This record gives sequence, C-alpha cells and structure tokens, in this order.
Amino acid sequence: MTGRPAFAVAMLSLASLLSAVSVSAAIMRETGSLPRGGSYVLYPDTTVASAAVGLWFRAPAPGYDDATPGIANLAATAAAVAPLASGKSLYALVHTVGGELNIAVYPDIIGIGAVVPASATRRIVAAMTAAYFAPSVDDAAVKTARANAAVLGVQQRYESDTTLHDLLFKQIFAIGPAHYPPLPTTVPQLTGITTAQVSGYAKRAFRAANAVLTLAGNVDASSITAVTDGGGGGSMDSPYDSKLAGMPVSTTAVGAVDGVGLAWIGPPIADQKAATALDFVADYLFREQTGVVSKVLDRSQSDALVIGQFITLHDPGVMVVTIGGSHEKQTEKNVMDALEALQQPMDAQAFNAAREAFLYHVAADTQTPQERADNLGWYTVEGNLEYAPGIAHGNYEQAARALDPQYVAEVVRHYLRKPVVVDLIATTPQKESSQ
Amino acid sequence: MKLVSWLCLTAAFAIATAPVSALAASVAVPAPSVENAGGGTTIVRQVDGAASLVGTSMIVRAGLDRQTMKQNGLAALVAETIVRTPLAQGDKSVLPLEDAIAARGGSIHFTVDPADVRFYVEALAEDAPAVLDMFRTALAAPDFSPATVRDARSVLVRQIAQVQQVALQVGLDMLNAASSRQANAGLPELGTPASLAQFFSTDARTFYRAYYRRGGAFVSAGGRLDTLPAETLTALAAALPVGTTVPVTVRVPTLNGATHEIVAHRDISSPWLIAQYPAPNVDSRDFGPMLVLAAFVRRTLSDIAQVPGVVSPTFASRSVGTVYAYDRAPATLVLYVNGGLIGNPSRAFATALSVVGVLAATRLQGSIEEFKAEAAGDFASDATTLETRTWLAAVFSRESASPDFINHALAAISATTSDDVQRVARSYLGNPTIALVLPRGTNLQD
Repeated sequence: MTGRPAFAVAMLSLASLLSAVSVSAAIMRETGSLPRGGSYVLYPDTTVASAAVGLWFRAPAPGYDDATPGIANLAATAAAVAPLASGKSLYALVHTVGGELNIAVYPDIIGIGAVVPASATRRIVAAMTAAYFAPSVDDAAVKTARANAAVLGVQQRYESDTTLHDLLFKQIFAIGPAHYPPLPTTVPQLTGITTAQVSGYAKRAFRAANAVLTLAGNVDASSITAVTDGGGGGSMDSPYDSKLAGMPVSTTAVGAVDGVGLAWIGPPIADQKAATALDFVADYLFREQTGVVSKVLDRSQSDALVIGQFITLHDPGVMVVTIGGSHEKQTEKNVMDALEALQQPMDAQAFNAAREAFLYHVAADTQTPQERADNLGWYTVEGNLEYAPGIAHGNYEQAARALDPQYVAEVVRHYLRKPVVVDLIATTPQKESSQ
Repeated sequence: MKLVSWLCLTAAFAIATAPVSALAASVAVPAPSVENAGGGTTIVRQVDGAASLVGTSMIVRAGLDRQTMKQNGLAALVAETIVRTPLAQGDKSVLPLEDAIAARGGSIHFTVDPADVRFYVEALAEDAPAVLDMFRTALAAPDFSPATVRDARSVLVRQIAQVQQVALQVGLDMLNAASSRQANAGLPELGTPASLAQFFSTDARTFYRAYYRRGGAFVSAGGRLDTLPAETLTALAAALPVGTTVPVTVRVPTLNGATHEIVAHRDISSPWLIAQYPAPNVDSRDFGPMLVLAAFVRRTLSDIAQVPGVVSPTFASRSVGTVYAYDRAPATLVLYVNGGLIGNPSRAFATALSVVGVLAATRLQGSIEEFKAEAAGDFASDATTLETRTWLAAVFSRESASPDFINHALAAISATTSDDVQRVARSYLGNPTIALVLPRGTNLQD
C-alpha cells in the first residue's frame, strides 16, 4: 500500500491532492490517504456507467467488550438513516440518485457499499463520509435500525447457511467477536441496546482514521476531494481477531430449518499460498454448477444445496461448508469423501484444468464495480490489500498460478481433516419458499 | 413502511418529488464500434482495459421461430449439441467443447430467444484466442452423432426439470406463449422432455444446415480485446456458411376480449401472480418513458404490498417487482408478486393492476425525477458484466441506429417528461395477460 503519512495528508491542499492524482492517473489501481484521516483505494473503469462506493472499518460486531451483540448492525444502519446537514439521510440520498445501499456486518469488520450512477459519485462520497465520519445518531435513527435488524433476524432464521455459519463460529472461537452472531438471536438483545451505546460505538468505530474508502467503476481520483469530515490524526485499529477454542466440539442446535454445517480452521490472510490453496479447493469442489460435489448433486437431481467457501480473515481464516435441502447426511458423506480424495495429489492434467478454471472464476467474480469495491475493502481491513483477488497480475493471481497438486494435497491434509460439525434441526415443519 | 392505497396514488405521485438536480448529467461512456464483416454479419466491439476477461456473444438467426410447432426444442437441442461437441485436445484426449473451454479457463452457455440463439463465451484474456478458436471449430462442424445428441438431450431434460421449479419462469413462459405474434416463437425455450425425445441426429443436422448462416448474425465482444489477434472475431463470423434464413410462419388467431388469465400448477409452496403488458422496443420514442414507468410501477407495487425492506434488501422486498424485457421481441412489461412472502398477495396484485389502470387514465401531477433517477440507476448498474454489455450492444445495434446502449438509454430517460409517461401508460398498460402459478392441490378460489 502506498499510503502517505497522516500528518502530511492533514496539511495536503486540494490542489496538491489533485496534482498527485493526475501524475498517477495512468495506473489502474491507486491507493492513498484521505484528506482528514483514513485511506482510499481506487479502481477505475471508464467503460461502465455506474460506480461503487464503499467504506470499510475494523470494528468488533458485539461491541468493544463483546457484551452487546448487534450493536455494530444498529450503529451502521442508524448512521445511514440519520438526517445529514442537507436534511436527507445517506440511505435516502442513495435511493434518490437511483442507487442501492448495502450494509454488511461481519464479526470483525463493517462494510458500507453503494452502487450509483457514475454521475452521482461525488455526492455519495460526500454523504457517506459525512454520515460515518461524523455520525449523528438519534433515537429515531436507532428505532429504524432496530426495525431493520428485526426483519433481517427473522429472515436469517430461515437461511440455514447464515445460521450455520454463526453456529460454527461459536463453536470454533471461544472468546472474541467471532464467537457471537453479528445479529442477535432475540429481540430483547436488540432493544436492550441504548441510543447512547449505539452513538458511542459509532463515534469510535467509524472514525475516518479507522476507514478505507473504496471506489470502483466510472470514477476518478477527483472524487476523493468530495470527502467530508474526519478527525485527522490516528490510525486504523488493530485487527479484531478472536481466540480459538482449545478443542472445538461438534454440536446439535434447533432452528427454523434443517441443515448441516462443517468448519475447519485455516491459515491467516498473511499465508497467501495456503489461503489461495483453500480457495482453490472450495472452487474445485463446491462452486455452483462446476464444482465436483455440486455436479454430483445436479446429476442425481437432489435438492440438497451445498455452499462451500474459505473465508479469508486476518487470523485465522475458516473453511465453511453448509448443506441445506434434503439428504443432508448423504451429502455430508459426499463432501467428506471428496475432501479425502484431495488428500492425495490430483492428476496433473486434471489439476491444470481445475486451476485454469479457478483463475477464470476469480476473474469472472470480480468484474463488476461492486465486486471490485467489496474485494478491495474486505482485503484491506483484513490486512492484506495487495492480496485482493481481481487485481490483474496481483499477489492473488500469482499465488493461484503457483499452486501445484502436491501442495494442495498437503494443505488439505494439514487443514481439512476432522471438521467441527453443527447439525441444525428444525423444530417445526419447514416452510420452503419457491424460487 | 406506510400503506399507500391506490386511491391516493395521485397524491403519492405528487409528493414523490426530488430536485431536478437529483438526476445529474450522466457520465459519458465510450460507444461500442460496429463493423460489417460481410455476408450480413455484424461485429460489435467494446474495449475495456480494466477487464481481465474477454466476453463474446455470438447471435445466430436460429431461434424459436425457425422451428415448426412439432419441432419445439430442436433449436435448443442443436445449440446444446454444439456445446457438447467433442474436441481433440493437445494430449490427444477428447473433451466436449464446454469442458474443453472450462479447462482452458473459460465458460460457454447459450440462450434460445424467439428469433435467435445466442452463445456467450467468456475467458481469461490470455486464453481467449484459444477458447474462441475452440468455439469456432465446434460451431463450424458440430458433432451430430447419436451419442452427442443423446448427451445434449439429457442435459436439456435436466435443465427443463430445474426450470419447472422456478415459478416466475413458468409464468413467464406461459405469458410469452400467449403474447407471441408467431405461435412457434412462443414455445418453451428448451422444449419439453416429450418433444425432445422425438428428435434424431438427422433432425438436428437438418436444422443446423438450414439455419446456421451468417446472414443476420452478430459477434459482439467486450473486455480485453487487445489480446485477440485481429482476425479472431472475423473468423468466428466466417465459421458459418453464407446465406440468410426466414422464420417458419405459424400464425394463430388473435385472442379477442379484455384481460386473459392463464393458470398452471407446479411443485411449489406458494402462489405467484404475474401480469404481462406489451411494451416498446429500444428504437421507440417510448423506450425511455417505459423505463421510467417500470420504475414507478415497481415502487408502487412495493408500497402496496408493504414489503418489509426497511433499509436492507430482504427476500420479501424482492418478492414483488417489474421486468421490462426490452431485449425480447416482442418487448413486454411484467409485474410479479410472490404470494409466499407477503401478507395478502391477491389484494396487493389486484390493487397494483388497478393502479396501473388509473395511471393510464388520470392526469399525473408532480415530479418524476426520482423515478427517472431510479430507472437510470437500474440500467447503469445492470449493464456492468461483459455478458450483459455484449448482449445489449448487439440488441441496440440491431434494433436502433446505434449500439451505444448506455448513452442512448440514459439520454432517453433524461428526456422523459410526465406527459411521456402518461402517454406510454395509456398506450401500453391496457389489458394485461395474467398468469397464476399455483401449488399443486390448490385452485383459484383458494
């Protein structure tokens, strides 16, 4: 990352910022410091008409003392719906210009994303940074945020993937933000969080110095000059890692839907080679339509649904496989059999084909402005921007091209032997929604 | 979210105001270039230096309207046979085209439209020349052996089974059948298992020889085109023999009367209610106003249904919506309600239809800027993948004077007035055709 010292940026004039930008305009990806704290990553593509604007923070989802699960969600939402100086909230403004706002809360990070017509980029950058760098959270905003969280919570109960994900993390991590679900499981937990607590959390988590602004699509560096507010000094918080349970145990839980979840503790983001190998495994086995396990299910016309991914986190990452639909136990066996087979090196020809397919899938999944902005934000706050997928000839692509059958088998043997298992059992007959 | 009854629609429309500046001047995007490749084939290019991929849409006049009524599914079977055609690899192994492309870092799939079949091939930039060469080889000489045709048929039968579980698609298929000007053009895209079972290799080969011609074909490519040898796209166009083809004419009497209703039962857990109206093509002066009108109807439908979206999008907030299918011939506007996710779907649907009727008859008051912004935002954000961009460039190249789909659409939206929206509502939103897709064991009275 090519960030400048914060004290220098604080004094940077508009003219000098523009000058610095123009020098590097030919570079596809640009990084730098925001005028009043924090950093930015820019990935322009002037052949599309939309822009993705993202603001990412390091912050513990259950609060700084892990005592208020859901507070990050409330704070992020309340800041988005609170009126700005113009009288209109960020949420309303994004919709007024024809865009969409997304708020994503993970155990250790928070991402705010807007996809808007490119002509509105500066307005959204200004409003988003005003909304978060100087949050003005009141009772009305928190009330809306609670209602939003309640709706999401009900929906999540019927998503076996999300529910299992939270339950698996609870088993794997004994202490720290990853032990708790980003959305609390009961309404009293939400209503028990006061406006003062939400406001205090927002002011601490959403400091400019704790942020990275990501811009992708039809954007240029002049948008950076639209940034408003920000405290100036300080730096991004250290990563909010969670402490592993000594001996994670499998468990059974009751919920609104059936499902099976499997999880394995993986390498940190710093171990690019191993993390990429596990991404490759997830792609080779579980990618929709092309994955080995997915194809077996398709051919059998099973309605089982398998989602498998390696979640790249600061330290450690986690491989998660969730199984929904019917015949979960048979599908679980398919998953374990496929992983066992991968403990031996793949045939060279099959491996080369799978690696080429993997490289293509990564490129295909990072082609829109929103996908690019999200990736740049996630990998920056998890601690390794240079490893973000989708950067042409970047570290990720190099790591993927360097994979070989022996190394992948070694990684599978090292990380993917005995999983933590969560069996989710529905207490009432399931109501399945048609597609 | 507040309840908006259809009676206060006009008031709601009037207060939904935004400053004119809400729709700021759009950002200009480079227009695709167009080249006549000879033989009636058009090549469209969109260079995107920020892309890692090359995406290519190949459109051939071999769609549904080239089939007779008895040949339903044959267009799809021929396309799938091309995708499953075995190709010799460097190590002397043989792989179907689809697998060979995947092994080189790419993908291929196809869609059967009323008049066309369109293949979409995508690959990493450095692999694109080899991948497109594989496609060219299979396209020029598909393998119509019984084994490959059988393989293709089994793939289609699996896909048909999956489609039948998607209620919205079932409804759209029924509505398209009802609204097609030609009966054959409205048949199911992939056919049915029963119709596919009747075709032999000779049927597929005969269809291919008759309709896979250069005339009217499009090769629309986007992404890192600088990595392609100059002749690649031209060679793809030249893979087919010269000549033009004409549709098989299958006329059916026009249905008279007002609103029509079609009902189907499937293995789904909740009912879907879908209404379809005729809509303008992209070259019409009504194109921009219809994009704005679609945004307005979507918002209204969402308000009526009281979808609990609050701030974050949810399943429920996506359970109602509109689709303006301007890339299809004939173009249509569709409203849909997923009855499983909102409280009273029948009332919401009926109210929405009433609102649309009122819209066509009542003088509109107030600003439409917010809906213009929403229409522009939707169009811009939907046109960001290479597949969409190459397809839309081909559609606009064929249907209008320019392939410049983004700037054309945004300009058309920007120029739209309230009177335009009113005129378009009156012209198109008269008598809908309605499809109800119901769970098995239920009926209309339920």
